[in-house]
Amino acid sequence: MLWKRQIPILIATVVGLSTLFGWFIDHAGVESFVNDDATQWYDILASFAIFLGALNLMKLQGKKVVKQQSGWQYSLFAIGGFLFAIVAGFIYKGNDAVEWGVHVTSKGTLFKWMFEYMFTPLSATMFALLAFFVASASYRAFRVRNLEATLLLVSGIIIMVGRVPLGSSISSWFVMYLLVLIIAIFANIKFKDKKITFGTLLVGVLVVTVWGALLGWPVDQPGLFYLPVLQDWIYNNPNVAGARAIMIGIGLGIFATSIRYILGIEKSYIGE
Amino acid sequence: MLKDKEFWLVAGGLSLAFIIYWLVGLPLLKEERIVMLLVIMVMSANLIYYTRFARRGGEIFLRTIPGLKAVEEAVGRSTEMGKSVLYVPGIMDMDQVETVAGVIILGHVSKMTSRYETSLNVPVSRSIVMKAARETVREAYTMEGRPDLFQDDMVHYLTDDQFAYAAGVNGIMVREKPAACLYMGKFFAESLILAETGNSIGAIQIAGTASQSQIPFFVTACDYTLIGEEFFAASAYLSQSPELMGGLKGQDMMKAGVTVAILVSLFMRILFDLGLIKWNIISILTVQ
Repeated sequence: MLWKRQIPILIATVVGLSTLFGWFIDHAGVESFVNDDATQWYDILASFAIFLGALNLMKLQGKKVVKQQSGWQYSLFAIGGFLFAIVAGFIYKGNDAVEWGVHVTSKGTLFKWMFEYMFTPLSATMFALLAFFVASASYRAFRVRNLEATLLLVSGIIIMVGRVPLGSSISSWFVMYLLVLIIAIFANIKFKDKKITFGTLLVGVLVVTVWGALLGWPVDQPGLFYLPVLQDWIYNNPNVAGARAIMIGIGLGIFATSIRYILGIEKSYIGE
Repeated sequence: MLKDKEFWLVAGGLSLAFIIYWLVGLPLLKEERIVMLLVIMVMSANLIYYTRFARRGGEIFLRTIPGLKAVEEAVGRSTEMGKSVLYVPGIMDMDQVETVAGVIILGHVSKMTSRYETSLNVPVSRSIVMKAARETVREAYTMEGRPDLFQDDMVHYLTDDQFAYAAGVNGIMVREKPAACLYMGKFFAESLILAETGNSIGAIQIAGTASQSQIPFFVTACDYTLIGEEFFAASAYLSQSPELMGGLKGQDMMKAGVTVAILVSLFMRILFDLGLIKWNIISILTVQ
């Protein structure tokens, strides 16, 4: 119990408190511990632990191949790739002119070849998949189901159109005519009366036309209806306000959680 | 409010010690960071106070968090369908508080899977996370009285690389078709790749992260999402431990304090801009 409970909590408390308060202490030794030693200890531990991970990976994939479990053929690629990386990293450089160590970044070596022609394209392929997933996710998010989804759709369209050159070519008067149309649609839904709908549309179109004629139809005036200005406002005001509120919550959550670990209030990480 | 005499005695003693330390000129202290130190001390005291308050039997109201309520539902669904639960604890190491929080929630989830005898699959991207998560799951199964159901391979390592890990997890999803996918930890661009694949196999999906830029992706693709602080409240919510719930109340009080500080700072800044006061509160509050 002492080794599995009290000692780990003591280590977490001592290291946590010294790292936290070390940031406020003006002493070279403490600063060096906080900025270098503590992180280096972690790196050393992590580099030893990588063997455990690699062994576990090989064990599982090997078991799949031996027992010919479903999808065992993929495991052959995993094992093959692992062994190939070990050979390219530790056994065969492929270029005798290059020293061991720098061979992982030097041109003309097997490791660099593997990195450039196998690893990078495979990673890029996975990253590229994101474009398709963004499209399918956007389709679901932007479906008009309720008021919130509609607001999201409208804001999304304004931001997307307002950020491309086409957006700056769209006159704010065109946007105002569109708005008049939308208001007329809402009036029709609300009152279900053709006279009210037509009256709203007529008054709106007249107001916009007279106003435009008086000002000389400038593309970017009034700024409130000019898409690049509008998207900038949406992006920098409602969006930032929401994001900051979430950030404050996250910050307080991280702080409270860290203090709970440091003070030993939260002990779930050692199984309690 | 002032019933905890022991707490107030210690708090008073520490405050007195700090005042004396201040009077002797704050030796060895980076004075430009003193505001932050004081804020940390006050916030920590607040957390400790409410933890002790809850421990003494004080009543704590915890609002229902649908995402956490759905965790048991997701495990139950997997049991009914005879399929596994896939748990992804993010792609970062144990030096990230989100990963630690993810591993802690894994402990609660594995208690449920052991109770329902449902298989659990936890692919990880860091070796230390693998060891920590494995120990957590082992403890959970032992505490539930089902150590026989625990296998080391429930928690297994895939790779450290972000997209290779995403490919590996996607492969597991497509081949094994788990009935529930839980994503709890720190995520980056792979979040949508994972969540959309999970969506395509029809799994019930619950995500929790403090990675602000990934929250919209999870909200879109998952059934439930724990946003920011809800994610850190998960352990308290799932364990219903009074001490942890007290910490949540403390957190809420801190939030109220931060709101007041923002409003006061805004007011003071307006006074400064109008030239009515000579000192700028923003320069005092800015982290040096």
